[in-house]
Amino acid sequence: MFKNILFATSATEASDHAARVAFNLARQYGAAVTVFHVLGVPTRGYSQVVVDVRTKESVQVDDEYRAWVVEEIKNQHGGEMKKAPQAVVEVCVGYPHREILRAVREKKPDLVVMGGTTGGDSVYKKALAGTTLQKVAKAAPCPVLAVAREAASFWGGFSSIVFGADFSKASDAAFDFSLKMAREAQCELHLFHAVDVGATLMGKIMDQDTIEGQIRESLNRIRGRYVAKMGDFKNYTMEVWEGIPSIEIVKFARERNADLIVMAHHARQADLEDSPMGSTMEQVIMRAGCPVISVNRLPKA
Amino acid sequence: MPEGQFCNKRPVNTDEELKALLGDTGGQKYYQEMKALEVDTALLWSTIQKTMKSRIKTWLSICAHCGMCADSCFIYRVSNRNPKQVPAYKIQSTLGEIVRRKGKVDNAFMHMAMETAWAKCTCCNRCGMYCPHGIDMGVMFGYLRGLLYQQGFVPWEMKIGAGMHRVYRAQMDVPNEEFVDTFQWMVEENQEEYPRLEVPVDKEGADILYTVNAREVKHYPEDLAEAAILFHIAGEDWTVTSEGWELTSLAMFAGDWEACKMQVTSVYGAMERLKPKRMVGTECGHAHRATVVEGPYWAGRKDGQTPVPSIHYVEWLAEALRTGKLKIDPEKRIKVPVTIQDSCNYIRNHGLKEVTREIISYIVEPGYFRDMSPNREHNYCCGGGGGFNGIGLYRRQRNEALKTKRDQILATGAELVLAPCHNCWDAIRDLIEEYEVPVKWSFLKPLILKMAVVPEHLKPRE
Repeated sequence: MFKNILFATSATEASDHAARVAFNLARQYGAAVTVFHVLGVPTRGYSQVVVDVRTKESVQVDDEYRAWVVEEIKNQHGGEMKKAPQAVVEVCVGYPHREILRAVREKKPDLVVMGGTTGGDSVYKKALAGTTLQKVAKAAPCPVLAVAREAASFWGGFSSIVFGADFSKASDAAFDFSLKMAREAQCELHLFHAVDVGATLMGKIMDQDTIEGQIRESLNRIRGRYVAKMGDFKNYTMEVWEGIPSIEIVKFARERNADLIVMAHHARQADLEDSPMGSTMEQVIMRAGCPVISVNRLPKA
Repeated sequence: MPEGQFCNKRPVNTDEELKALLGDTGGQKYYQEMKALEVDTALLWSTIQKTMKSRIKTWLSICAHCGMCADSCFIYRVSNRNPKQVPAYKIQSTLGEIVRRKGKVDNAFMHMAMETAWAKCTCCNRCGMYCPHGIDMGVMFGYLRGLLYQQGFVPWEMKIGAGMHRVYRAQMDVPNEEFVDTFQWMVEENQEEYPRLEVPVDKEGADILYTVNAREVKHYPEDLAEAAILFHIAGEDWTVTSEGWELTSLAMFAGDWEACKMQVTSVYGAMERLKPKRMVGTECGHAHRATVVEGPYWAGRKDGQTPVPSIHYVEWLAEALRTGKLKIDPEKRIKVPVTIQDSCNYIRNHGLKEVTREIISYIVEPGYFRDMSPNREHNYCCGGGGGFNGIGLYRRQRNEALKTKRDQILATGAELVLAPCHNCWDAIRDLIEEYEVPVKWSFLKPLILKMAVVPEHLKPRE
């Protein structure tokens, strides 16, 4: 399933939980791991000065400094890295989302693993709207797995996968991936959708008949769009709840003891900038008790 | 003759030399070696005799020392009106003195001249507008930089920058293949939202040849994507070239005349090869000055023109809005107090002041635009022009110089600064960071992209 993992780390605590998941996956699947860190933002035009993402200091990046950063990363993730002794650490200069995407293009990993957000005081925030995770998840050709919380436990195997459906084209790709994972791991697959009765309605209250009508309709869509494609795979359930989608999916995943949530993240650039709290996916990542994988497109043949 | 390993009179011509020079972190050894660098006075004087023409000779001799240029200089104003920062003094005490001494100056003098040429003048040319004789100290400092470069007295980053142009024909180490590949990557990344988006490479006879700044390729290729999408939405017939795609010239900042010529010749070569109807350059000020305004003379073109008509991005944008090729959704116009940074290199030095105001009339809700004071051709330099932004040795002086722009911006009450110039964009970002100024700043492309109407036939089907 996974042979080549790119673990993009902020080299801070925000990535510790992601490190655990990345290396547990690597051990389970025998995957190669590249630990990739963008150490700083290029600044002041064509000067050689870089603002280090962790220390926030202006530094001159040379081979010595790079070597020091590599050592720092090994210190930060040392314990986890023992699980995959062949892991390679790479550091570079640039805007993190762009350099991660550049690395993805070059190395063609089958999974990118990332940590949670490094917070609002990031040196990158000022120039570009949206978080690194949003941008990588939006553009990456491969699945992107994010882990933000310590509670997001994952020790190796998958026993229960929740697929959050939104009936879009991107969501079809996320479904295909979920099904493949579930078949491979021979685990349960829960098809879930939440009817949004919250934020997007601008305070309007939906009457119960409408809600229930939408629930029935959504169940039909799950049957038609996803279940129809499942062939002989029978170890599944389907469920539609109403509420705020990001909250409902987290609740549902908790109830089903899920160890993975799969969903699509296909916000437009404009949406990223206009939603300071982030997309549904980011909300799920922040709240979920398990890793979350974003899948937007089918792998290129 | 003590020529250093890094600091010497030889330009950087190979990738190995570039990497070695970059490896001297912060130019520590470079500047150490500079202290022992000998001045080749004979070469200096013979170069002046060959290259200093009647205009500069006249300017040096007719300066009346009236001091009218003093207040025109933003660096003089932020330096507590130090008389040594009066433009006339600055040029007379450096270039003027070298000429008077027939080139017989020493190492200490050249150090002083280097600091004056790169840390006390951004070649913004504002003084030239206020001199009763029309003497332009900025032009003369550009000339002085050439003399200093030849002698090896040039800031470390400038020597690297000029070397980049020599080795890569770009201001950063971006090979031609990487440029094309990055542009194609950006297009692919946006094809879901814009299904037929493409980047035609080396197409002959296109209406537009688009040229860029290597930093876009290296660090924020989103800019390439935005350019492609806007041409796409506007229905333009455009192309990029696989060779000669770099519009900028750090060689101009460095005073490396030979590299200046090498660089623009590569762009003109692309124009001659692909025969576009015209060239459009990215949102960069000095690049426009280098390739469009001064370059034809560097390349020895007798008519003083580029091989095909060449315009700045703001000119293309204004035209696209005027002709309706690009339509703005009125609901999405900018509705916060907004100002614009008039870039010296294409506003004061190339007369495009009304073009940018025309763009504003389309994209800003009436009542929200606040001009800086002074503005248009009278506007002050961003504080980081002429290479100032990039030189670590003069960071402290540069940060002082940023105060002028900071105060101008704050006085407008704007929450957003439009900065259609890479240098201005950098300087404004740095002043926001340095002085914690609560404003946002942006190139035009990303803003236009958010408010442009995408024609139905170009939208994705789903």
